[in-house]
Amino acid sequence: MDPLLEQLLAGFVDEAQEIYDRLTRSLMELEKSPAQGPGFDDLARGLHTLKGSSATLGLEELADLAHRMEDVVLPLRGSAQPLPGPLVDAILKSLDCWMARLRATAAKADLPDLAPSYALLAAVKPAAPAKAAAKTAEPSAKPAEVAADFPAAPAANDDTQADSWRVSTRQVIALLHEVERLREVRLRLDERRRELEKAVVQLDRLGIQAETAEARAVLLGVRRSLVGDGEEAADIVASMEDGLKAISTMPVRTVIDPLRRAVRDLCKATGKQAKLAVVGAEVSLDRRVLEQLRGPLVHLVRNAVDHGLEMPDVREARGKHREGALTIRIEQQGNMLFIEVGDDGAGLDLEQIREAALRRALVAPEDLGNLSTQQLHQLVFRPGFSTRTEATEYSGRGVGLDVVRNQIQALQGHVEVQSVAGQGARFVLTLPADLGSSPVLVVRCGEHQLGIPMAAVESSRAARNGDLRVGRSRVQLDHREQLIPLQDLGALVGLRQPEVPADGQPLLILQSQGRRLALSVDEVLGDRELVIRPLPVEVRDLAAWQGAATLARGELVLILRPDFLVVDDSLTARALHRTALETGGYLVHTASNGRQALEQLRHSAYDVMVCDIGMDEMDGYELTAAVRQRAETDSMPILLVSARDSDNDRQRGTAVGADGFLTKKDCVSGRLLSEVSAVIARRKGAA
Amino acid sequence: MKLQPRATKEIAPELNELLVRRAERVRSKTSQVDEENVLWVAEFPIGEETYALPLETLRAAVPLKMVTAVPLSPPHVIGILRFQGQIVTALSLASLLGGRGWREDPAVLLVVDPGFGRLIAIDCERIPKPTGLPHALVEEARARSTGATCEITLPGTRQVQLLDLLRLMDRRQGQDKR
Repeated sequence: MDPLLEQLLAGFVDEAQEIYDRLTRSLMELEKSPAQGPGFDDLARGLHTLKGSSATLGLEELADLAHRMEDVVLPLRGSAQPLPGPLVDAILKSLDCWMARLRATAAKADLPDLAPSYALLAAVKPAAPAKAAAKTAEPSAKPAEVAADFPAAPAANDDTQADSWRVSTRQVIALLHEVERLREVRLRLDERRRELEKAVVQLDRLGIQAETAEARAVLLGVRRSLVGDGEEAADIVASMEDGLKAISTMPVRTVIDPLRRAVRDLCKATGKQAKLAVVGAEVSLDRRVLEQLRGPLVHLVRNAVDHGLEMPDVREARGKHREGALTIRIEQQGNMLFIEVGDDGAGLDLEQIREAALRRALVAPEDLGNLSTQQLHQLVFRPGFSTRTEATEYSGRGVGLDVVRNQIQALQGHVEVQSVAGQGARFVLTLPADLGSSPVLVVRCGEHQLGIPMAAVESSRAARNGDLRVGRSRVQLDHREQLIPLQDLGALVGLRQPEVPADGQPLLILQSQGRRLALSVDEVLGDRELVIRPLPVEVRDLAAWQGAATLARGELVLILRPDFLVVDDSLTARALHRTALETGGYLVHTASNGRQALEQLRHSAYDVMVCDIGMDEMDGYELTAAVRQRAETDSMPILLVSARDSDNDRQRGTAVGADGFLTKKDCVSGRLLSEVSAVIARRKGAA
Repeated sequence: MKLQPRATKEIAPELNELLVRRAERVRSKTSQVDEENVLWVAEFPIGEETYALPLETLRAAVPLKMVTAVPLSPPHVIGILRFQGQIVTALSLASLLGGRGWREDPAVLLVVDPGFGRLIAIDCERIPKPTGLPHALVEEARARSTGATCEITLPGTRQVQLLDLLRLMDRRQGQDKR
């Protein structure tokens, strides 16, 4: 292909995609409202542009197909009736084929056959021009004649060629990184100014002396210049950030709008009725994030129609509107993005999930009865999971929600599901939207400075002894007549053993995922606008940290993930146990549940196993029993840790083969290390 | 002022012999450290042993104090640091090598490019010195080795452990996965 033509073709693919999106919207609107007015004009104009531009590029087949689409649509112009459903179907499918053929041409791939589209269009072509369209051109009119009948298409191509450049994503991302560096340089300028001010103050302390007067004058001059330079640099950084944000973000609408088509098509195919409502589509997001979100959102919306919504008659019988409600809600809080996809259908069917889990051997039959509702809901994200026994065109192949979860995790996010039987289901995607800066509260724990996203901080206050409820294993705070759990941040991130806050010590009240937590810190250093960047690969998997940001002096501060603070106390226990054991010279491997532990034991030999009794899926007793059944581990020392100090628990532990038993309070008081040594010694002695 | 050529002094035969021997030794050194036949490495001690890594992988040596510790990270992670606008992980080389200890507290971080598209930093007792290892010996040692280091025995029985950072990190990732 001629290199110039190749370049033009690449540009045309982008332009055609925009027209395709617009035409899809117009067709779906005209299916419900009269075929007249600006909506119809837009449809006719778009088809004409596709025809004209493809003819200009020598793509005769595409020009011909666009012409045939015009032939079908134009006779209906001005009709008081909406466009007939079969006609809209035929045009939408032909547009799909048109776009696929254009992409294949640009990619030099196999070209899709246009014959089915010709047949579809021929089948819906009006026999004669509608009365209302008497004044319009004949369907068979030449393109130029047809074009003369409606306002000329805006010269989109001319505009874009004159006013815009095609720039690669990589170049824009490189610029973004440079602006981040510039912002850091600006912060360092501030720091240099402060250092200079300190030097002037020190000189002032020496008194006015002839020897230092000149140096002092120079320093004062440099300080003035630095103030001006710092302010100018701040303006430049802010302006560049705004400009780059405009370039590298797009409204979520660009991803959401095509979903309306998906909902419409799926409803037509399944006989269901649904209306998609979108809240927050105007939020602009990083293009890279949006592109990655396209697939998961299509999956979730298709799932909601196919699995969630009931047939209209069933809905009516259940007292619901025949038309199901699908809702997509987008909200950005600081550097976090929340997308909720909900429906008012039947909700997740626990019985079907149980059957599917057994059928696909995702859970052992004996464990199935012990799973909580939440755990059963989580099974829908397992690879190969589907409640359908037979695959249809739309579902049942077991490929779906695990892919959604993987794609969201690849964006450093997570997905949750909430469902009420008979009332519907909600999937909530939480993602970092890491463009630009966000407010962070910087606190001190011991020698460490840590950042907490301000979006999670509800308020701060000082600890008062009268408000603390100190129990055997936990501390609670009486905050505005409500008891909320209180944690020591230093202990949560494994820096020290938990400490009850002293009178007057700063406390932060955090809120995340609907839960509240009070957090004690050593000092609140203040709030800052920081650019949070992802951590390097070697430490990216740590659940506690969302990323890192650069402070004024150029040092890095770690930013906590609010949901880590509020939800995962078992992780904290593991971190504390690990810290204690590493202090004693042990090399520690951790596992988050019994199955993972068994898997690790299959691959490696260990000197001792420390195991929490209260674990999901498989508790500590079951794990101990399973370990004892295997010849390789039947004599491995096992120490059980329990939240309760109960004789019954101890006896049960001994019965399944544990060598020792500790309460969490014992661990906190430092007995873990000595007990580990003791159980190892006992086993060796027995041998 | 007029310059006079310096008169050649008579030298004793034994001194002459010494000078000739010294010249020969210098000439032979030059041939050994022939730039085309050596691999330039950064050499540093760990405990009693001498380690080296190819100089081409070394990007910078920075003071260890610039590191921010990452609580809850694996034991071989010292922390993170900023280097030329990037956030880089600082790793304990002694821990990566399986517990060999330093003689002194590490004071320097070497920022290196192991070859997998991102930088890492490793700790070191002091700024390493550049030196050349004969290519032939390096290739011979590499052919024998399957691990993250290969042992090179230099003339005079001095031994240097040449690090293969890519293998070292691969091995670490393998352990982490397990």
